[in-house]
Amino acid sequence: MRRYIARRVAAFVATLFFVSALVFVVVRVLPGDPALVIIGPEGSPEAAARLREALGLNRPILVQYTEWLSRALRGDLGVSLQYDVPVGRLILSRLPVTLPLTLMAAVLIAGTALPLGLYAARRHRRAGDYLAMVVSQIGIAIPGFWAGLLLILLFSVHLGWVQSGGFAGWSNGLWPGVRSLLLPAIALGFFQMAVLVRATRSSVLDVLREDYVRTARAKGVSELSVIAKHTLRNALIPIVTVAGLQLGQLMAGAIILESVFALPGLGRLALGAITARDLPVVQGVTLFVASTIVLINFAVDLLYVVLDPRIRYE
Amino acid sequence: MRHLGKLLLVALALIPLASPAAARAQNLVVQVATEPPGLDLTATPASATAGVVFYNVQEALVKVNRHGKIVPWLAERWNTSDNKNYTFFLKRGVRFHNGRELKAADVKFVIDRAMNPETKHPAPANYAAISDIIVKDDYTITFALKTTTANFLLNMARQGSVIYPREAVDTLKSEPIGTGPYKLGEWVRGDRIVLVKNPDYHVKGLPRLDRVTYRFIPDPNAALAALKAGDVDAAMFGLGPEHIPELQKDSRFQVIVGETTNDVIMSMNNSKKPFSDVRVRRAVTYGINKPEVVKGAMFGLGRVIGTNVDPLNPYFVDMSGAMPYDPAKAKKLLAEAGYPNGFEAVLKVAPQYYYTVRTGEVLADQLSKVGVKIKIEQIEWGQWLSRVWKDADYDLTIIGHAEAWDIANYANPKYYFRYDSGEFQKLFQESEITVDDKARRELYVKMQKKLVEDAPVVWLYIHPRLAVTKKGLQGFWKDLPAPAFDLSEVAWVK
Repeated sequence: MRRYIARRVAAFVATLFFVSALVFVVVRVLPGDPALVIIGPEGSPEAAARLREALGLNRPILVQYTEWLSRALRGDLGVSLQYDVPVGRLILSRLPVTLPLTLMAAVLIAGTALPLGLYAARRHRRAGDYLAMVVSQIGIAIPGFWAGLLLILLFSVHLGWVQSGGFAGWSNGLWPGVRSLLLPAIALGFFQMAVLVRATRSSVLDVLREDYVRTARAKGVSELSVIAKHTLRNALIPIVTVAGLQLGQLMAGAIILESVFALPGLGRLALGAITARDLPVVQGVTLFVASTIVLINFAVDLLYVVLDPRIRYE
Repeated sequence: MRHLGKLLLVALALIPLASPAAARAQNLVVQVATEPPGLDLTATPASATAGVVFYNVQEALVKVNRHGKIVPWLAERWNTSDNKNYTFFLKRGVRFHNGRELKAADVKFVIDRAMNPETKHPAPANYAAISDIIVKDDYTITFALKTTTANFLLNMARQGSVIYPREAVDTLKSEPIGTGPYKLGEWVRGDRIVLVKNPDYHVKGLPRLDRVTYRFIPDPNAALAALKAGDVDAAMFGLGPEHIPELQKDSRFQVIVGETTNDVIMSMNNSKKPFSDVRVRRAVTYGINKPEVVKGAMFGLGRVIGTNVDPLNPYFVDMSGAMPYDPAKAKKLLAEAGYPNGFEAVLKVAPQYYYTVRTGEVLADQLSKVGVKIKIEQIEWGQWLSRVWKDADYDLTIIGHAEAWDIANYANPKYYFRYDSGEFQKLFQESEITVDDKARRELYVKMQKKLVEDAPVVWLYIHPRLAVTKKGLQGFWKDLPAPAFDLSEVAWVK
């Protein structure tokens, strides 16, 4: 296990190194110059050229990357061109929005998809199954941003229950914060929930057909025990795999929904930074998201061992 | 399943009603679409920055008022005997937000800094005519110009000429200090900017609001929802023309539709075939039905124009009918130019500006009828700036030119239009040094006629000011002759 963890840590570092180099090159090779975006079409090209020089963008990419890397290794991700704030601080300031948002979406996904998928599998080819499949089909068909707008229309404009957007902050208490993230979390999680319902249903269906389930039932084991002990645990490996991937996708989904709900989160920071060619921020956020996804995958792999003692990482 | 439904209903019922979002009388919450890329007016010409800072936090010696007139502001008056030496007399007792009084030395520092290329001011050319700045005393300052410069006062009224205290120069980007009616309260990156009343403002009785919160809501539909839900009091730049008819019928809101200096044009690359041929450019102009463009792309909102000078400019001449829609003439001109069957061209647009895509779609349809087959290519704004604006790597493109008095662009052969007319350049240079109003007006009329004749671009329409506020708010500017969003006179009335 120790060797396995050491190997994974090495792979983690290599992935981050690769991702950082790739993003560094891509954002600089793509057309679009930070100096031009800052100066805009109403400024003079000469002013843009001077700014480019001052930002150090005229130097060879390798020199820029080496300098960035050496500072990043010391924990300094640079300063945002747009906000004039250290990138690390900027990312940290956005986490109180994006982390609870993705966490709430994840809880909603797990809390609805697992029971619904299980229910559909047990009612296989009966009305309940078809209903669950229709719901999940709708979830897959509706894009998150549109679901978000529909939720705003219903709950903010017509019913007036929650704010149409913006983030109340945690300093005012837990509930105002949760309330401002509720609709975005539902909109964010709806699509992934629909996918997970299907994954859960098919995985549970596979296990329900296994001989050991039939044996358990033949022995007279209660249905609850058959489902909880014999079926669900065995069905969880593919479900956890899908759910792990989904956690990463939630980060990507947050980019759109944070814009729709005007939330000051990491996704919107990334989007704004790409539009404004705020290279240090693009670089920092990408690195952060990549690390998070690699860590989630790692956690999922470790979870396999917990779920299925037959799995060994040696 | 039934239980699940019940649980959901109970859960929904438990959500307490949100407090009604009625704004307190002295506070204003404003929606803006774009977060400013920094708050330093001397570092970025971004309209998002000007929308917050210009006139509200920082001001200049003179001001373009709501009627488009240049009026004394931080300078209570000025005089010039020879149009080459301007002396400004500063208003006494004007205090910066840090409490210190504004002195002539601050003005000298600010303009010296703007002229210095090292400081990366975005428009140093606006100060190129200044040869010397002489501080006569704490309240008197003279600018000596190398030559007569007709736009000198206008340049001193621009957003890049705002006066700030010397000691605050390093924090302009995140904590701008000025003399404006509001002070910066806080900037929560990604979420909001809060301005608070400056109790020592130099104009008595202003501002009338205590607190202004700018909320960044980029999605137009979300902005509309926020307005309807009562979460914002006013939507300033975020709503599209499609929202206007519905809001005009809603008794809760007042809709402001006004003029701006933002002329939306389709540029043709004058250095590239076939657009290097004036007959082709004229043919394209004749092939476009501008009123239909405004109807199709802008829900009928926006004024058709025929040349570059906008209606808020004192030298505006209505040339919208100069080259009216005439497809037969367009085809004839194309045949004369050697394109009897038309040609194909690529139209590059940046969807960040919604109107460019919509306008492009209408234009592509119209021009196909005279044989010009247009392929629309959507590119991201950063790419547009690099490929189109900087490198002129394009056939056709659409964008709104928001800056007032931007006819200078046509006198610059390196500008992305690549329009190079010696005659026009001569007229422009003359207009720059002609101070007499009548003579200058004549030059502007000549310039506009020359532009119509050469058709370097197609002037389509003025992008209207579309703002929607709750009823009970007063004091907003109807037209926007300056790139500012002046809130000093805005107030809730009973």
